[in-house]
Amino acid sequence: MVLLAIVLTGIGTYALRAVFVVTLSRQRFPVLALRALEYVAPAVMGALVISMLTSSEGQVALGIPELAGLAVAALVAARTRNHIYALAGALGAYWLLGYAGL
Amino acid sequence: MSTRIIAKPVGPIRRGIADSLPLFIPAIPFTLVFGIVVRDVGVAAWLGWSSSPIIFGGAAQITLLTLLGEGASVVAASTAALIVGARHLLYSVTLAPRFQDQPAWFRWVGSYMLIDQVFALTAVDRQEDPKVFRHYYLAAGTTFWCLWMTFTALGIVLGPKIPSHWQLSFAAPALFMGLLAVTIDRWQKAAVAISAMAFTGLLADLPNRSGLLIGALLAIGLGIILERVRR
Repeated sequence: MVLLAIVLTGIGTYALRAVFVVTLSRQRFPVLALRALEYVAPAVMGALVISMLTSSEGQVALGIPELAGLAVAALVAARTRNHIYALAGALGAYWLLGYAGL
Repeated sequence: MSTRIIAKPVGPIRRGIADSLPLFIPAIPFTLVFGIVVRDVGVAAWLGWSSSPIIFGGAAQITLLTLLGEGASVVAASTAALIVGARHLLYSVTLAPRFQDQPAWFRWVGSYMLIDQVFALTAVDRQEDPKVFRHYYLAAGTTFWCLWMTFTALGIVLGPKIPSHWQLSFAAPALFMGLLAVTIDRWQKAAVAISAMAFTGLLADLPNRSGLLIGALLAIGLGIILERVRR
């Protein structure tokens, strides 16, 4: 099942990359679709963050350590554009507040 | 006799390799998080790694495996991973004119290598010879491919060595929060991101992780409305 999902995603990802490059389609992409595409990344990333914090029973684990960690990740990434710093800062804040018992 | 060092013109292949190396550094946290996700999902190492050559896209790979591990169906997890990868459609539209004068084989192979970094390196039209473009593109793509295959394998080996009480499962949402933050260039996008988080939280107990897709789609709908208002 996992292999099936990987293959499906692989075919789909290739199709997304190839569609215009291979067909050389000169057709104009609808402007509204391009505009909507700009919102796909923030929407999906936001939904994913929450989904990744959700247990298999459907409980969202979003306490003070998680909130602080996410805030640090967002601030550091927006400032430095460096995902290594963002990740390190987020984990640091998360651990610190977790050990503090918050 | 004065010696003057004349810089030899650097060929497109060497230039492609040299430009790729610094751009790979931001991808390294992905490979570590990827290794942790493969461990947490509990699939065989080779199976988790096979997503590297088959998908060749870090965010899509992490999304897919995380959601499968959380009990999402094959269709729900693949759909979510493809929506995460939807930006590649934009890359394909943007780069298509550069492939106009290229042989068919390169259009098929080049598509496979059309990852974020290769797009970033080749999106600027330098008005160069088609052959120079092709060599540069293939050199950059091949360099990233080799690095990604090696480092995701390393991530899978090193990930399980990290003690579980370090709670590195928080690394995946933290990394995606950082990715989210760099896409925000106007308040409308922030509003869309926050509403996607809220919708997904409210819909968290829907089966098969469908709250993720419904929440994201509702937020994209809000984005389209905000865009209409903005213009």
